[in-house]
Amino acid sequence: MSWLLILLPLAGVVAVVLSPARMAKIVAMLTTLVVFGVSIAAAVGFDGWGKGTWGLTGSFDWLSRYGIEIQVGADSVSLVLVLLTTFLMPLAVLGSFTSVRERLREYYGWLLGLEAAMLGVFLAKDLVLFYVCFEFTLVPMFFIIAIYGGANRAKASVKFMIYTFTGSLITLAAFLWLAWSASQAADGAWTFSIAALTEHAVSGLDATQQGWLLLALLIGFGVKVPIFPVHTWLPLAHTEAPTAGSVILAGVLLKLGTYGLYRFMLPMCPEAVVTWAPLIAVLAIIGILYGALICWVQTDVKKLVAYSSVSHLGFCILGLFALNPMGLEGSILYMVNHGLSTGALFFLIGMMYERYHTRDMNAVGGLAGRMPIWACFMVFFVLASVGLPGLNGFVSEFLCLIAAFAAGDMGAYPGVLGPWYAAIAALGMIFAAMYLLIMVGRIVFGPEKLPPGTPDEELLPQDLSVREITVLVPLAVFCIVLGVQPWIVIDGTSAAVADTLAVYEPILGQAKSAVQGALVGGAP
Amino acid sequence: MMTSTAIRIAELVPAVPPVPVAEVVEATSHWWAGFILWFPLISLVLCGLCAAFRVRSKLPAWITIGSLACSFVLTILLGNAEDVPERILLFEWISMEWLGGSFVANFALYIDSLTILWMSFVTGLGTLIALYASEYMEPDVGKGYTRFFSGVSIFLFAMGCLVMGDNLLMLYLGWEGVGFASYWLIGYYYRRPEAVAAAKKAFIVNRIGDLGLALAVYLIWATFGTVQYNELMTIIQSGDFSEVYEGWSVKAIPYLLMLAAFGKSAQLPLYVWLPDAMEGPTPVSALIHAATMVTAGIYLIARMYPFFLLEPASLHLVAWVGGLTALLAATIGMAQYDIKRIFAYSTVSQLGFMFLGLGVLTTYGAAYHVFTHAFFKAVLFLTAGAVMHGFAGQLDLRKLSGLRRMKGWRIVAWTMFVGCICLAGFPFTSGYFSKDAILAEAFVTQGPGFQVLGWLAIFTAFLTAYYTFRVWCRVCAGPVHYEPGDELHDDDHHDDHHDDHHDDHHGEHGFHPHAPRFAINFVLVVISVGALLAAVPYFMPNEVEGIKGGWVADMVHGSSAASGIPGHPDHPGSLSDSAHGDGHAHHGTILGMDPHSAMYYISGVVGGVGLLLAFWLHLWRRQDADRLRSWLLSRAWIRWLPVAMENKWYVDEVYHALVRAPLWLLGHVFHAFDRYIVDGLLVDGTSRLPRLLGRWFQPLQNGLLQSYAVTMAGGAVLIVLMMVLMMQFFQGGAVQ
Repeated sequence: MSWLLILLPLAGVVAVVLSPARMAKIVAMLTTLVVFGVSIAAAVGFDGWGKGTWGLTGSFDWLSRYGIEIQVGADSVSLVLVLLTTFLMPLAVLGSFTSVRERLREYYGWLLGLEAAMLGVFLAKDLVLFYVCFEFTLVPMFFIIAIYGGANRAKASVKFMIYTFTGSLITLAAFLWLAWSASQAADGAWTFSIAALTEHAVSGLDATQQGWLLLALLIGFGVKVPIFPVHTWLPLAHTEAPTAGSVILAGVLLKLGTYGLYRFMLPMCPEAVVTWAPLIAVLAIIGILYGALICWVQTDVKKLVAYSSVSHLGFCILGLFALNPMGLEGSILYMVNHGLSTGALFFLIGMMYERYHTRDMNAVGGLAGRMPIWACFMVFFVLASVGLPGLNGFVSEFLCLIAAFAAGDMGAYPGVLGPWYAAIAALGMIFAAMYLLIMVGRIVFGPEKLPPGTPDEELLPQDLSVREITVLVPLAVFCIVLGVQPWIVIDGTSAAVADTLAVYEPILGQAKSAVQGALVGGAP
Repeated sequence: MMTSTAIRIAELVPAVPPVPVAEVVEATSHWWAGFILWFPLISLVLCGLCAAFRVRSKLPAWITIGSLACSFVLTILLGNAEDVPERILLFEWISMEWLGGSFVANFALYIDSLTILWMSFVTGLGTLIALYASEYMEPDVGKGYTRFFSGVSIFLFAMGCLVMGDNLLMLYLGWEGVGFASYWLIGYYYRRPEAVAAAKKAFIVNRIGDLGLALAVYLIWATFGTVQYNELMTIIQSGDFSEVYEGWSVKAIPYLLMLAAFGKSAQLPLYVWLPDAMEGPTPVSALIHAATMVTAGIYLIARMYPFFLLEPASLHLVAWVGGLTALLAATIGMAQYDIKRIFAYSTVSQLGFMFLGLGVLTTYGAAYHVFTHAFFKAVLFLTAGAVMHGFAGQLDLRKLSGLRRMKGWRIVAWTMFVGCICLAGFPFTSGYFSKDAILAEAFVTQGPGFQVLGWLAIFTAFLTAYYTFRVWCRVCAGPVHYEPGDELHDDDHHDDHHDDHHDDHHGEHGFHPHAPRFAINFVLVVISVGALLAAVPYFMPNEVEGIKGGWVADMVHGSSAASGIPGHPDHPGSLSDSAHGDGHAHHGTILGMDPHSAMYYISGVVGGVGLLLAFWLHLWRRQDADRLRSWLLSRAWIRWLPVAMENKWYVDEVYHALVRAPLWLLGHVFHAFDRYIVDGLLVDGTSRLPRLLGRWFQPLQNGLLQSYAVTMAGGAVLIVLMMVLMMQFFQGGAVQ
């Protein structure tokens, strides 16, 4: 099943390239839909929900002399992200029907190639496949930005490519060193299996070595997330990418970073994580506030949403490094929710751009009267992004913050963060409301303002077409579903999360029951 | 005598709440209670369908009115059926369990008498105001009509979650939900920049309060391990808990909750959004920004009262903030000319009274004032709306006069009068009794400067009577005279329809105000009768002997708002501070009298004097008001007072300078930093390094044989050196 998921999009690439140009979008659409169907079937058949086990496994001997055996499979966490990817892809394809008008076969080919690579990352059970796919995501994205992007696309694509590539090279070095060190420990028997290497890293490395490993992983995955000082490729790439590119970039590619942190850093170097988690959390909090304040002064809508990712992903990182079940669940939910709501915001901005050819808030505004359906969706997804309870963003944000709050020496949980981390990060909630509502206040509401050179009244673009509504409705539905029934994800992944955290118990001590903890002191 | 017998908050702290939280029943028989929430939601969905099918009739209004009426009926039925607090699970929301802990926040209802009290006036007034709005919003039929009523439905749903939720997270859901509904409806006239700005401001300022609520929830969960009311109350009652975080967690909780309450209920320092919220359609101002939503802060504190009793100093702060807000808002209200704004500031001021009540330990007084205020303030706003509707948006009280003599406007004039006497606290009106319950308690309860606070509140009551009747005397009494406003109340987002309205509204010549019709008049009469009847519970018998306040008091005392209020530990029945019948000896005194009896006279006199002053300055000799103003303005030593009052004490400007401007600047600094330092210097700088290195080595490839020879020799030396060094390094390593 996993092989099918990775190979189907690749087959789709071949089909797209062979088909006539006008059929390319149809073929791509069908392929992504089939992949989505397969992933649903896989998820239904998957027996690891609520358990920490792996499923959908498969393997392929490649260079067995060096222990390089390609293994695929999924646990509940990776399957959630697989579903996010396969869910977003058909929408991305459908959303590009009118915005991309030239070199169609190439475009849809790259999109499908990107899907294969992303699924490969989430389904990889060994480092080689993981790393190959992780790097390979850069190539399609590079071309999507460089060919179909905005005015500044050349700079954006090169920067995106080189920046993230440099980061992941350091991670590659760390992976190779880890594998080498494991082979030394095992008398020269090489393996690249993630499970085996994780075991080796936990038991075979001392705290200092884990620290270096952590640093290398942090550089590679931190660039991808992105964490505060290494985020500057993101606003540029997001702004210049075509709509579907931004959606995939925000929806899935950023999650490769957080998934990497979850899959590698947390299980592999627990000692070092406990030491460095406060620092990473501080970087996350800086990202939250710094990104939010920068959002506030943007005039380019797309750049605003791009910077908002820097801010939002900070919550996700904060949840991860709270090192307790609520935090990790919140973080996983955050990955999904951010993909949905920010993806939708990029779609909406793309739809506006297609009509008015500007993203400048000073040039265009007050579109609610002209495009009421668009305005409704815009307000809806902004609220999801702001974290209005009842919608998806709230649950994940809440869990991340409460987890960070309670994780501390004196809190309900053993951990290395504490109330101040959560309290300061929570200021981001206010800032998020400020910048997003200001954006809505300018482009959706207020007096109508159209950019100069907009054609006459009759020629003016209309409200959303049925196709565009079809793109947005599934996203909106899932925003509500995950806002009201978040247990779908939480229950499914709870056991996997508990397994990941098991390694922290000896270091941090067992989680004491909050009530029991409170009762220890007795009456005052 | 006084000190020894008066209730001292400080003594309460160690006292275990004397009254057990009543048994909580996991009810299945009242499963239909959920429909109190579902009806507004159904209405929302139906309104959405109306929008999708472009319904151009009043259908959305009837859907909303019908479903809200159903909610109201169910609430009353539930109130009759309910005798013990019960929990009703609707569905699971966030529910996590793991080794050694759990976090449970389900979509469940917690029904006790406080819930019923609140829901009864929320749904009741909601229904009536929706009916009013069906006529008021008429010009927007087919345009914003559906949007308006879906906003009302969202609001009622969110308010239901807030009040009926069984845990703090559901309260939070409602809390933010009503904030969103308020944003949606304030910004209803979305073409108008002021409306958009006001909506944004309301949401953002409320978010500051929400931050307090969120942190309080984190802290409560971290300390007590649960966010469900019944479990929390049981733990507090048992006393089996301890402070975490070096002993500040339990102490900090009430302050965080307070921040939330001050945001939502528009108290210092977060009240600034409420006056601006008047940009919304007037029914919204009446429903959300006067009668119901803004009382959520009172509800929060009443619901979480035991947490406040654990930290008495927090209640002192609540009392002082409430008292000062009441005074400040009253002084601003005195000097405004826009009727709606005056009423808005009076709302802020009355909410201040309610907080004062909570702070001086009379949750009953606070809740009763919420109840009466809901009626009379709704009436006032709705009459203001009728005026605005009829006079093309005119709200300046200097440009309207003599409404009660105009044909078709008498109902408006006299219902406004009813609202005004209640708000002014005229003897034997509802506002008189509910306000007295609070004022007297300020003299009974001992606290830092509570006596001073009591006198300040009495002074505020005087100002209230004055500014309330200032409006009525100007607008409804006096000679008939009016100027139409310069806008239609609905002209904002369809400029192209100007011509349609020309006949009935516009034009300097031949402007004739169109008087309200049946729906508006009917609602005005019903609510003003309600405002008068709200005084009745005060005289009704109580279940518990020796308490005044009838079923309102019983309802408050039967909930968590009362639990823990000390009183007579051996006498659990009369648990409340306000369980003071007449003539109990244990009270403080004012002027040698029992505060409660004294307050009848004091507040009656104060209200009467304020009323007379208003009649003098604004009805009998209006020129005196202008003379007084110019006299004040011409004296340098007092000039600042009216100027500051008219400019709302410059609070908005101060906030702008102290908060918004620095953050804005910081945003720009960060943006520049990001662009030039992080990205420009660090990233791009690093990426230039290879090129620079290349430039550096470029001269080596200069094509001259001699220099190649030198380079080669140098390179060989370098390699040898490195080898030597490395060998030493590795040998050293091997030795170890």
